[in-house]
Formats: sequence, structure tokens, C-alpha cells
Amino acid sequence: MTKPAPNTSEKYDLGFANWVYENVNGGDKLGLCMQCGVCSGSCPIGEQMDHGPRKLFMMIRAGMKDEVLSSNTMWNCTSCYRCVVRCPRSVPVTYILQDLAAKSVELGYAKPNENSKFSNSFWWSAKTFGRTDERLVTAKYYFSFGVVEGVKRGLDNLKIAWGMIKTGRMHLTMPHQIKDKAGLKAILAKAAEIEERESKS
Amino acid sequence: MPQGGPKSQTILVVGGGIAGITAAIEAAETGYDVVLLEKSPSLGGRVTKFNRYFPKLCHPTCGLEINYQRIKKNPRVKLMTMCEVTGIAGAKGDYTVSVKRTPRFVNDKCTACGDCKDVSDTAVANAYNYGLDKVKGAYLPHEHAFPMRYVIAPEAIAAGEGDKLKAACKYGAIEPDQKEETFDLNAGAIIWTTGWKPYDAAKLDTYAYNESPDIINNVEMERLAAHDGPTGGKILRPSDNEPAKKVALIQCAGSRDNNHLAYCSRICCLGSLKHAAYVREQYEDAQVDIYYIDIRAHDKLEAFHAKIKNDPQVHFIKSKPGHIKIGEDGRPLVCGERTIDREIYEEPYDLVVLATGMQPSAVKGYKPEVGVMEDEYGFLVPKANGAADGEGIFSAGVASGPLDVSMSVQSATAAALRAIQAVRGS
Repeated sequence: MTKPAPNTSEKYDLGFANWVYENVNGGDKLGLCMQCGVCSGSCPIGEQMDHGPRKLFMMIRAGMKDEVLSSNTMWNCTSCYRCVVRCPRSVPVTYILQDLAAKSVELGYAKPNENSKFSNSFWWSAKTFGRTDERLVTAKYYFSFGVVEGVKRGLDNLKIAWGMIKTGRMHLTMPHQIKDKAGLKAILAKAAEIEERESKS
Repeated sequence: MPQGGPKSQTILVVGGGIAGITAAIEAAETGYDVVLLEKSPSLGGRVTKFNRYFPKLCHPTCGLEINYQRIKKNPRVKLMTMCEVTGIAGAKGDYTVSVKRTPRFVNDKCTACGDCKDVSDTAVANAYNYGLDKVKGAYLPHEHAFPMRYVIAPEAIAAGEGDKLKAACKYGAIEPDQKEETFDLNAGAIIWTTGWKPYDAAKLDTYAYNESPDIINNVEMERLAAHDGPTGGKILRPSDNEPAKKVALIQCAGSRDNNHLAYCSRICCLGSLKHAAYVREQYEDAQVDIYYIDIRAHDKLEAFHAKIKNDPQVHFIKSKPGHIKIGEDGRPLVCGERTIDREIYEEPYDLVVLATGMQPSAVKGYKPEVGVMEDEYGFLVPKANGAADGEGIFSAGVASGPLDVSMSVQSATAAALRAIQAVRGS
């Protein structure tokens, strides 16, 4: 695991922490964190994260802006909410990570990577059909790495695909769609409008 | 009594733990009549169930015994066991207190000879050992019980043992026909010292308390280490009675946690340091891991903290564990993140002790509605305007907040003085 450390010879720069408190969804609750470690210790994929939520929050306080916004921690979060349920101080860990991910894109820190590519494919299916179509999400994700890589990944996973088809977890006909797609569109438009309004206020 | 003064100068103390005993003795030795009510069959409360207690790591008989002697020798203290308050009416100087008495089925002729126990065939959970073992249907609460009198469990009466037990008693002490009774007491002031209970560890669903007998709470650990506990003082794994040589002590188990008790109970850190000492005294090759957020060893006991910290076989791990799993071999696995080096761990133990906090007993059952008020956690604290509300009801000990023994005793002495002022009408 990487071990970035703040430069202790300098005074902590609280500018970044204050910016997070004010601009990140749930960031105002970060001051409640007492560094107990329940969030990182409870995380089912904590070992895949470079820092984990507890350390990331400490890095925010230490003013380590570049390290925080280029971390993989928020990208690996699966939003299982275990940390939120268990946090003894009621810090909305998942919300904070989600918005830190959004901010890292906004500020140009997030490079396209496995997680963001998968995230884009997943979101494309959800907003287009109102459902996730396993086959199309996977295809879009694999081919986002280029045609050669897409074919290679597809062939590598053929056995899994066949297993999923046999057990009804994936199908080959038209993608399943929700009935009221216009309704979904309206909901998403409204959400975008609210986001736009709140980001300005 | 001065003209127009209080009708009654009797001080009623509700709850016979260390705080109630102290308040009763302080008031009585100053010359006031005291009635001391206790819900269970004997005095001493939580303190009597400790193996050893701070500040000097004495056995509870040390300290309690001398207080029992003072009660015994003071005609001004009237002790009533197995009694609960169900209502308070009236005002300062003239309270009428409704009391419910649960039958003991044994009168004061009992000499604690134990003949009734020998003929009893029923077995009930041993409240003294938090149900970790059983006692006969006719039992002495524990070996230093005060009053030193047997109790017949309602289960034994229900099983039809009454006549058999009565016949076995040479002293005519057993009365199987006793019924629950209610009566009123008159008092000029009331001191509420109903104490605490450990926070229910079963509510900590991520800590698997109900999934393994080897996951216990801190008060049960006291009994495991005590010479009159279920294991005769050997710290053994409850699952197979093998020595517990690798022990995890988990701090803040449900404390400082918005999902459980939001406050710090103040006693658990030193309590766990004491548990580490119990284990290390018994096993030279033992390993004790203390999982903590921060160690809050308060009071003047830093030297004790330092001594435990210097033991190379006691490890302080800065981490609140995320959860406890049961491993394939049946041992508990403590899982979490070490916050100093960010290592994720999954560590097996022989015994896991959850340092649960103190919850006021008053959260359930009757509590006074005047004089004191319930705070957001169920502790009874003085009203904002203090004694100015003209009531003669005061709280002390853990009923008033999370306190250790010496602080409870201080608060009880303070409450005794306030009660005396109330009944003197000054």
C-alpha cells in the first residue's frame, strides 16, 4: 500500500479541508470524524483502496488536495453503505466519497480508468433503458478499451457469459426496458435541474 | 422539629448500591432516620459483582463489609430488601412513597445454614454471575451477602417445593405463603440511587455477542476472574473451559456511538486495563490485545495505565473493530483496520471481551418526576434551577451520570447533605 504523508515541517493548510466542508455533499459532517477506523475496517473491498475512507478524511484535514483527488478510494466504493450504517459519529461516508469522485472529474484529476469506464457504461444502460442490461453494459465497457482489447476481454469471459445465459442472468434478445421511459427522462431532467441550481447557490 | 417545619424528617434512599449505602450511612450517622430500599435480595449492587475494584484494586468485600457493619450498628437505618418504589406523591417534607415488596419466602429467623438449599431440586440462573451458571431454587445471593439470608426463587415455589423447604428448616424461617405486597412510606426527602446496567451487548449486532459463548461483556469478565465466579476464578473460555490465553478487549463497544450510547461511560478503559492485568496474572504466556479509539483512563490512575502499557504481552491497537466473525474453528475473529499503519486485520482469539458502557437503570420502570429530570440518555440530573424548585428529591451515583466508584461515593455524600438540608427546612 502506498503511504503518502503530509509534510509535517509545514503548517497544515486548512484551505482544502474548508473547501471540502463547504462544497462536497456531506462534507460539513467531516468535522465529526474521530478516526476510529470502523469505516475502513468494515469495507468489504477496503483492501482494494489505496487509502480507505478514514485515511482519506485525515488527508483532507492535512490539506493533501492532490493525493485526495487522485485517490482510487472513491472510485472503488460500491455504495454498500456498511460504513454509513456503522459510523458511530453518523458521518455520511458514502455520500462524501461519491461527491469527491464527481469533484475529481470536475477538477480534472480523474483519469479515465477501469472504474470510470465501467461507471459510464452502467450509467448509459440505466438512463437509456431504465434497467441494466448485463450484455450491453459489458460490451460497452470492454470495447471502451478499443476493438482489440474488447474482443480479447469478450473471449476471455465467454465461459462466464454462457453460464449466465444458461441460468437466465443474461439474455440475447432485445434489452429489457421499463414501460415509462418518458417518465424516467423527466425524473433525470429534474434531477439535473436541481443539481444545476444547487451548484450555483 | 421547628414550628411549621417538615412533617417528616426521614430520608428515603432508593437503591442499595455503593451510592445508596453511602448516602444512607452519611445521613444516619449525622443523626437522621433513614429508610434504605433495595430491589434485589442483598446490598452492594454492581460493586459487589466486581472481582476487584478501583482505586486500590480491592476485593469488593473490602469497603462494603465496613459499610455493612456501620448499617448493622446504626439503629437509625432501616433496611428493606426486595422493595421497589412505584409512586411518589406529596411535597418536600411530606412525601408519600408507594412501595412494592416481592416475596423472599424467607423471614429474618434465617441463619444461612443452607439446609433448605440441600433439599431443593430446582435450578435457576445465578443472577450474581450474570446467568453464567446456576444456583439451587433456595440460595444465598452470594457468600458476602448482606443481609446474610437465603432467598427462595419463585420458580421453586411454582415447582411445589414450598412445603419440602419449610420442613427442612430447623428455625421456622421459610414462609412459602408470602405474597407480593404494597405499602406506603412517609419521608421528608428522597435520594434516588438506582444505579446502572451494562448496555445490552446483543444490540451490537456486528459484534456477534449471541453467536459465540466466547464473546462476553466486561461485567461477565469480572465474574470469570472472581474466586466465587462460575469458574472459581480461572479465566477459561466459556465454550470448552480451556484457558483463555489470547484475549481481545474491545473498547467503546456501543459507547460514543450514535447508534447506541452516544456518551463515554468513563469507567470502561480502566476496567479493561484491569482485565488485562487479570489475564496476565494468571497466564505467563498470555497475549492481550486492547482495541481502542483513544484510552480514557481518568482519575489518578495513570501509574496503573503506564504499568499495563509497559507489559510487552499487552498490545494497544488503535482501531475500533468493524465486526466480529466466527471462524471455521469456531473461534471469534476480530476484523477491522489498524489506523496507525492502515493494515486490515482478521485476528482469531480465545476470548473476546466487549467493554460495554453503563446505562442508567432508571430508563425502565418508575422514576421521580419532580426534583430531578431525565436527560436525553435516561440519567436523572438536577433540574436547571437546582434546589430552587422546592423539591426534596435528589439523585446520586450512576443514576445521575456515568461515574466510577469514588465519584459515586462523592455524589452520594453531596446528596445526603442536600437531603438533610431539605428535611431540616433550612
